[in-house]
Amino acid sequence: MLEILAILLCLGILASGVLAVRLNNLMAAMVSAGLSSLFASVCYVLLAAPDVAMAEASIGSGLSMLIFLYAIRKTSNAKE
Amino acid sequence: MSEIFLYLAALLIAGSVVLGVARLIRGTTLVDRVAAIDMLTIVSISMIALYAHVAGRFIYVDVALVYAVLSFLAVLAMARYLERGL
Repeated sequence: MLEILAILLCLGILASGVLAVRLNNLMAAMVSAGLSSLFASVCYVLLAAPDVAMAEASIGSGLSMLIFLYAIRKTSNAKE
Repeated sequence: MSEIFLYLAALLIAGSVVLGVARLIRGTTLVDRVAAIDMLTIVSISMIALYAHVAGRFIYVDVALVYAVLSFLAVLAMARYLERGL
């Protein structure tokens, strides 16, 4: 049961990584990168490392998404 | 009896992950993708809680709590960005 969930999470990481590279919209690519970090955090929990998962959740999904939002907001004036 | 409910919960979580990732891939607008990542966050929290029950370790519930607070913050920031605020 849990193996199937872990395989599904790994496929989700793969799909969101490919999507983050290939999308043209910057905001959508950032959302896809955040999803990759989210699934990686759940994978860390399934691999019995809760402290690493907590750090990954706070940094990868919370802090870096805020910083990316701020950077896109600051630099998107000249774009199109 | 409780095994049946655990398998049912795992099945529902797997179906939700598949549907959420499909919405994220296909999503035509940005709001669809933000809603999809919000749903996937909540599904991930439920997955961590299910694994905490299956593995019998209560420390994993703390991870789910931290994750719930942080995901709320991230989705709130994205909503503010979509409103041209931030």
